[in-house]
Amino acid sequence: MSRGALVDVAFWLFGGGSVVAAWLVFRTDSMVRAAYWLLASFAGVGVVMVLLNARFLGLVLVLMMAGEMTIMAVFMVMFMMNPAGLNPMTMVHQHRQAKIAGVVAFAGLALVGVVAEFPDRPADPDGEPTAELGRELLGDSMLLFETAGVTLLATMIGSIAIASKRGRYGDAEDGSAPPPLALS
Amino acid sequence: MNWSSPLPALLLVGAVLGLGAYAVAVLDGAAALVTARQRLPLGDIVIGPLRQAALAARTRRSTTERPDLQAWALAPALLAGMAAGAVATVPFGPDTAVADVDDGIVAFGAVMAVVMVGVYLHGWSANSPLPLVGGYRFIALALSYEMPLALVLIAAALPAESLSVGAIVESQYDLWNVVRQPLGLPLYLVAGTGLAFWGPLNGADGADLAGGTSAEVSGPARLMWALSRRFVLVAVAVMGAAVFLGGWQGPWLPAPLWMALKTLALLAVLVAAGHRLARVRLERFVVVAWVVFIPLALVDVFVSGALAL
Repeated sequence: MSRGALVDVAFWLFGGGSVVAAWLVFRTDSMVRAAYWLLASFAGVGVVMVLLNARFLGLVLVLMMAGEMTIMAVFMVMFMMNPAGLNPMTMVHQHRQAKIAGVVAFAGLALVGVVAEFPDRPADPDGEPTAELGRELLGDSMLLFETAGVTLLATMIGSIAIASKRGRYGDAEDGSAPPPLALS
Repeated sequence: MNWSSPLPALLLVGAVLGLGAYAVAVLDGAAALVTARQRLPLGDIVIGPLRQAALAARTRRSTTERPDLQAWALAPALLAGMAAGAVATVPFGPDTAVADVDDGIVAFGAVMAVVMVGVYLHGWSANSPLPLVGGYRFIALALSYEMPLALVLIAAALPAESLSVGAIVESQYDLWNVVRQPLGLPLYLVAGTGLAFWGPLNGADGADLAGGTSAEVSGPARLMWALSRRFVLVAVAVMGAAVFLGGWQGPWLPAPLWMALKTLALLAVLVAAGHRLARVRLERFVVVAWVVFIPLALVDVFVSGALAL
C-alpha cells in the first residue's frame, strides 16, 4: 500500500474512532470512563492533526488533554457522593434541554460548514509547521495570544480566590496551615 | 538499513525495551545485595529475574468484585506503548532512529502525560481501596514532576534550536548538556524517577499500600505491569542519555554501544537510588517540587536561553 493510502486509512480510522469515542462519553455509566472516552476522542483528533502535518499541535493536544481529563475525572469524583466513580450512574440529565441544545448546536455548526467560504491556501508539504507556528505565536499574533493567555490565567486565579473564600462549612482557611517545607 | 520500516522498527524498539527491562532487573538484584553487603551469587542475579517472570506468568490471575476489566487490561498496555513511543524518537546512532520526528521532545511530553492516565486507570479499575489510593498518589506526584521535566527538556532543546531529539544529540558535539546545563540532568532524573514511580518516589505502588495500584493484580497481568513499569524507566534512561549525555556520540567505540553504555549508566543510578534513598512522603515532595524544583528548572531555561542567544 502506498503512503497516501495508509494516511487515508489512518485518517478514517482515527477520525471515525474519535466520533465513536465521543458518543461513548454519554453511553458509559461512570465519570472516570466518561472522562477517558473524551480523552480518547481528543487523542483521535490529535492523530488527525498529526496526519495533517500539524504535529506540534496534535501532540500538544494529547499532552494537555491527558492531564486535563485526569484532573477532571478526579474533580468529578470528588464533587459526587460516589466514592470512586465505579458505581454505575447515568451520564445524561435534563433530556429536553439537552436535545434542544444538541440540535441547535449541530444546525449552527452545519450551517457554518455549508455556508462559510473556507480559504484555499495549500501549504507547502515540505515546510516546517512547528517553526511557522512559533513565528506566528511570537510574531504577528503575539499580542492576541498573550492577551488570551493572561486573561485565562487571571480567570483561574480569580475563580480560585472566589471559590476558596467560603466553603459549605464556613471559612475555607479555618484551621488550615501552609504545608511545611522541611524535608525530614 | 531503513529503521522506520515496520519490521526493523519493531526489532529496534523491542530490543531496547526488552534488554533494558532485563538490565533493570539484574541491576536491581545486584543493588539489593550490594546494599545489604552480601556476596553476589552471579547465577541467581542473572537467572533470577527470568525465574520470577516465569513464575508470575504461571500464577493464577486474581480478580476483585466488579472491576473495570477493559481499563485494567489497558493500563499496562498504555505504559508499554508510551515507553515504545518515547524510545522510537531517540536515535541510537547517526540515522539510526525509528522516528526522529521534528517534535520529538513534545512527543515525549505527550507520552509522560499519558503515563499518568495509565497508572491512574490501573489503580482505579481494580475497584479496591488501596489501588485507588495509589492512583490518586500518582496524580499528585505527576502534576508536581511534570513541570520541571518539561522545562529541563525545553532548556535542552534551546542550544539545538530544534525540538528533534536527533538535533539535540548533535548539538552536544562539543559539550554535553550535562556540563552545559548542570541543573538539567539532576532535575530530569528526579522527575524520571517519578515518571516510572520508582524507588524514593514509588508512592503509587508503595509497600505501605500493600503494592498500591498493583495490590490486587497477580499472574500474567502482574508480570505485564512490572514489565511496563520497567519499560518506562528504560525510556527515561534512553531519553536522558540522548538529551543530556551526548547520545550516541563518543570516541573509539561504535555509536550504538555508546548509547547502550550511557543508558546503562543512567539505569544504574536510577536503580541504585531505589535502594539507597528512603521513600519520600508525597506531600513533602509536592511542596519541594513546586517551591524548589520548578524555580530551579526555570533558572535552567533562562540561563540556557541566554547562553543559546
